[in-house]
Amino acid sequence: MIAGAVGMLRVGIELAEPLSFSVTERLLLMALIAASLGVFAWRSWPIASNILHSKKDADFSLRPVGRRAWKFFWEVLCQSKVIRQRPLPGLAHAFVFWGFLAFALVTLNHLAVGFGHGFLQYSGSFGPFYVGFAGIWAVLVAVSISGLFVRRFVVRPKWLGKRVSVESGVIAGLIFVLMVSYLAALFVGDKGFAARGLWWVHTLSLLVFLPLIPRTKHLHLLLSPLTVFLKRPQFSQIPKLEGDEDFGLFAGRDVTQIIALQAYSCVECGRCAEHCPATTTGKVLNPKKIVLEMRSYLNTAGPGSEEPLLDRPGSAMSMEAAFECTTCGACEFQCPVGVQHLSILIGLRRGAVNTGAWEDRYGTKLFLALEKQGNALGMSSIERDKFIAKQEFPIFDGSQEYCLWLGCMGSYDPKGREIVSDFARVMQALGVQFGVLKKEKCTGDPARRLGNDLLFGDLAAQGLKTFAAAKVTKIVTICPHCVRTIATDWLEYGVAPEIEHHSDFMARHAHLLPKQDGGSIVYHDPCYLGRYRDVYDEPRAVVAAAGELVEAERHHERSFCCGAGGGQAFLGEESGERVSHVRAKELIATGAQTIGTACPFCNSMFRDALGAVGGENPPQLLDIAQLVARGLAPRALSSDAEEKSG
Amino acid sequence: MKIVVAVKQVPERDAVVRVAADGRGVDESDVAWTMNEPDAYALEEALQLKERAGEGEVVVLCAGPERVQSTLREALAKGADRAVHVVTPEAGEGSLGERDSLDVARLLAEAVRAEAADLVLTGLQSDDLGAGQTGVVMAELLGVPHATLVLHVELLDGGDGRRIKVKRELEDGWMQHVEMALPALLTIQSGGNRLRYATLMGIKRARQKEMREVQAAAAGKRVDEVVKVSPPTRVKRTEMLTGSADEVAAKLVERLRFEVKVL
Amino acid sequence: MNSNVLVVTETKGAGWHRMSFEALAAGQKLAAELGVGCSAAVMGEGAAIAPLAAELAAKRLDAVWAVGDALLAQYTADGWVAALEQLIAEAKPRYVVFPHTYQVRDYAPALATRLGEVLIGDVTTIRVADAQSGPVAGPIFGRQWLQGKLNAEYRHGNESGVCFVSVQAGSFRADAVAAGASEVKAFAPKMEAGKIRTKPGEAFREAAQTVDLSTAAVIVSVGRGIGEQENLKLVEELAAALGAELAASRPICDAGWLPMERQVGSSGQTVAPKLYLAVGISGAIQHLVGMKGAKTVIAINKDADAPIFEVADIGVVGDLFEVVPALTKAIRG
Repeated sequence: MIAGAVGMLRVGIELAEPLSFSVTERLLLMALIAASLGVFAWRSWPIASNILHSKKDADFSLRPVGRRAWKFFWEVLCQSKVIRQRPLPGLAHAFVFWGFLAFALVTLNHLAVGFGHGFLQYSGSFGPFYVGFAGIWAVLVAVSISGLFVRRFVVRPKWLGKRVSVESGVIAGLIFVLMVSYLAALFVGDKGFAARGLWWVHTLSLLVFLPLIPRTKHLHLLLSPLTVFLKRPQFSQIPKLEGDEDFGLFAGRDVTQIIALQAYSCVECGRCAEHCPATTTGKVLNPKKIVLEMRSYLNTAGPGSEEPLLDRPGSAMSMEAAFECTTCGACEFQCPVGVQHLSILIGLRRGAVNTGAWEDRYGTKLFLALEKQGNALGMSSIERDKFIAKQEFPIFDGSQEYCLWLGCMGSYDPKGREIVSDFARVMQALGVQFGVLKKEKCTGDPARRLGNDLLFGDLAAQGLKTFAAAKVTKIVTICPHCVRTIATDWLEYGVAPEIEHHSDFMARHAHLLPKQDGGSIVYHDPCYLGRYRDVYDEPRAVVAAAGELVEAERHHERSFCCGAGGGQAFLGEESGERVSHVRAKELIATGAQTIGTACPFCNSMFRDALGAVGGENPPQLLDIAQLVARGLAPRALSSDAEEKSG
Repeated sequence: MKIVVAVKQVPERDAVVRVAADGRGVDESDVAWTMNEPDAYALEEALQLKERAGEGEVVVLCAGPERVQSTLREALAKGADRAVHVVTPEAGEGSLGERDSLDVARLLAEAVRAEAADLVLTGLQSDDLGAGQTGVVMAELLGVPHATLVLHVELLDGGDGRRIKVKRELEDGWMQHVEMALPALLTIQSGGNRLRYATLMGIKRARQKEMREVQAAAAGKRVDEVVKVSPPTRVKRTEMLTGSADEVAAKLVERLRFEVKVL
Repeated sequence: MNSNVLVVTETKGAGWHRMSFEALAAGQKLAAELGVGCSAAVMGEGAAIAPLAAELAAKRLDAVWAVGDALLAQYTADGWVAALEQLIAEAKPRYVVFPHTYQVRDYAPALATRLGEVLIGDVTTIRVADAQSGPVAGPIFGRQWLQGKLNAEYRHGNESGVCFVSVQAGSFRADAVAAGASEVKAFAPKMEAGKIRTKPGEAFREAAQTVDLSTAAVIVSVGRGIGEQENLKLVEELAAALGAELAASRPICDAGWLPMERQVGSSGQTVAPKLYLAVGISGAIQHLVGMKGAKTVIAINKDADAPIFEVADIGVVGDLFEVVPALTKAIRG
């Protein structure tokens, strides 16, 4: 079939079109077009109105336009996210999309013909070329849409949901008819009855298709290009609260235009849920349902509503769900239509926490610990003093190049302390001068992710003051959560000194690191380093110097969460399967001798998980700093001994 | 129903404290301050009582220098309706450090009398001096019945608030109910409720709430005197016991009996 | 000899509150060092306290006051304050010593206030003279500030008044009480039912629906070092001997060896006992955050590098399978 189409292109071909239309036909056509547009407008208006009547995004700016244009090109025109995640159906979808683009001119011409103004001339070279070109696309679209139809209605992948919408079947059928009627017109020589019949079939399909768009998931055809272009520029961006009555997403009145636009753009593909650590381990949270419930809220309660967003009767947008998110960002990263789940989920948490609506034993304990002790673990800061003294860490006095930030885990967690100590040894071996702060408080990461703006703001402001007072210019830390929070989230309160993760630091010095034959090491990408900061190669360079790098089944951007983020490390027992167990099993399955981590939270989660699912001979668990330190001096690491006795 | 909650501002739990230059108090120059935890529970019980009753007013009361207003603000942010600040000098004559518990209780009782409260709540004891007397002394000064170590308060008589039944803690895990007429004073034991966390909304609302300042009366003569304050001689560190299992066991039993005092 | 020290004892059920004799020891010590006499009081319903007063009479005391009235059958702050106010007027002590019990904390401050005095509470040391410099100006009472971060020494400033002191549990040894013989004096205070403003109920224990470790005073907690489920009985026996609640680190509960509600840690319960005895627990942060409020931590672990020793007050590096049974035996004595 393709070969035939290509052959036709070479000879130059013509589309069978009716030569003329009667007045009745034209009137009928006009009436049908008017009706189609009318129904389309009637069905679209409430949606447009809901989006337009939503709250303005106070922080919105088109800048940087270049970045937006690039995202548009790459995600919309190139269909990168669609294809990357699910290559076969993704490619099929891309063909349909590109086919539609190719068909834009054909469709315009098609309708123009109905009014006697067809502009594609078959005498020249462009007309025949384009018609043939479109013909190739018609074949690709017809094949792709059939494949997608089979997938949706016969194969029925779990992530598309239990309920398969009839409309999507109808629409697939219409697309198929559009393509076939076009192709047929290429083969029909006569310009009489057959041409006229095909023309009308094509026209009617078009005019039925149009009004179907607004109230089906095919609304994404119109909205998603806009959504992708307009989405917030940063990953997991948390907008600043504006004024005295903004507490986050509490009720409909807080839903902004961008959120509304995203809610209506969802195509229900389920990529977000498929990769969600909460959904896939049997928790209540399903990011797709959150987005769809947001849409249904807007449809029923409306944008200005005072009704709380969470816990409406029967709604999947529940308090429980909102607080199960690990903020790993797999959903936001995967979404092909530009929905930013994290802004929504964290926004809902803000609405609940900033108003005091969220009541949770562990959450309250965490907030009070951050309020009183200034660290998430609720430890006395004296414990940190003792640790610093014992390790003989120099105190930062302005003379050293780096301020080594310990973070809560580095200050109080026995394993985190080992990581910090080993990283300090690496710095010393490299001859880099560093010092630690006398006192540290949490960066506010768990408060930020759980939506506690009061606490986060206090901690951010205090942290900025501490760095300024100590005259710090460069910070290095073992914790990706600290890096993200200090570098990005603190911007709401001021600019912090430059901060880097120890993987960046060590990768820059990779040529000086000891070369080791440390056996096979599987590297686990922390969400806050990978998806949040695009740091993938640096830690791998460090691992590669220490042994043979092995990849887990899911890695890089598609890495699976350890279960600790978003405050979950502090929120008590999980329902369903433990996220950390799922990931630990995946890491163990590589057969690697060592699991390499780059985040003390991941490390701590896996430490527990290995005890439960690691079997008799679990792999060793080491941070990348420890991997490097292993090559520095023949010092036995105590973590092995601990595993036995703990 | 009007509930007055008397709170105290104390050094943070982790604060490194030094002895003041005169050797008779705490050097306050470098101390971070916070609400005394048992008082936070008293405030929580008051707020819950008001929420359960569906009406009433919670007035938070604190004596001390300027700095205690941050603690009063915190209480307002958590839901108290009004604040009364009994202003004392930062240091020297008339400051809190120069007054004994009877005198401090007098200051607070004076302010409570002006409010004509139905119920006065305060924490069982303070985390700094730990005397555990202010509440009971206030009750005596006010001439109202009291109960200590209270975990829960219940309004009797269909909630017209003239009689209460409290659950108080006895030793070794025993409890007891005590009934009394209002007005009354209760000292609240920590842990009976879950404390609430401060919220952004609470802080914003608190800005509009009233904070009334009252000048403290002159200090009376101290009944007890603080002669000397000193850091403890023994610094806590891990002591490793060695020997055979039986020797170690004998040493442990000795410690359990006389140091830990659980045997 | 004028009895200048009066010790107010406390009963519990038909017997003694165990701290009564610690207070008695403190009172005898104070009296001896001051060179004055010591007497003691026991309060309650007349017939009920008679045997207790007789028991006190076998101690070295000047007098035993049996303060009896039907209205003293059950403790009320108003009753106790009224009775003791009258007793003090009668006995005219210079020092009144109490055990620092929950009950004393409930009424002693009010009693002191009624007499324009202040209770010096929760005292751990009493010092009359210095070894080098000899007698000090009045007895010095030591107590703790800021949960033990500072020691403060107090003196009673009101020379003509009564000095009220309560002593902390365990600060004075009950077995130091000196025996002797003294007479029992019955004292009948004038009591009015109408002046007792509170109506106390009977003591009760709450039906334990789930294990509440958060209020436990002593906890024995077990970790992965126990090895196998069968070995748990070793620790159960130790807990029983100590009258302790049994707790565990997460791996033990994960394995189903103990129910989840016995888990101490970030995903379990937060505890603040007087004693936390950690057996075979390495001390992962998830566990440490749950038990950091413990007053005293004793750790038994075979690995000398286990992080639990960083937070322990007393550590034993050794085989728990030897140490634990030996300790159980020693406790049972």
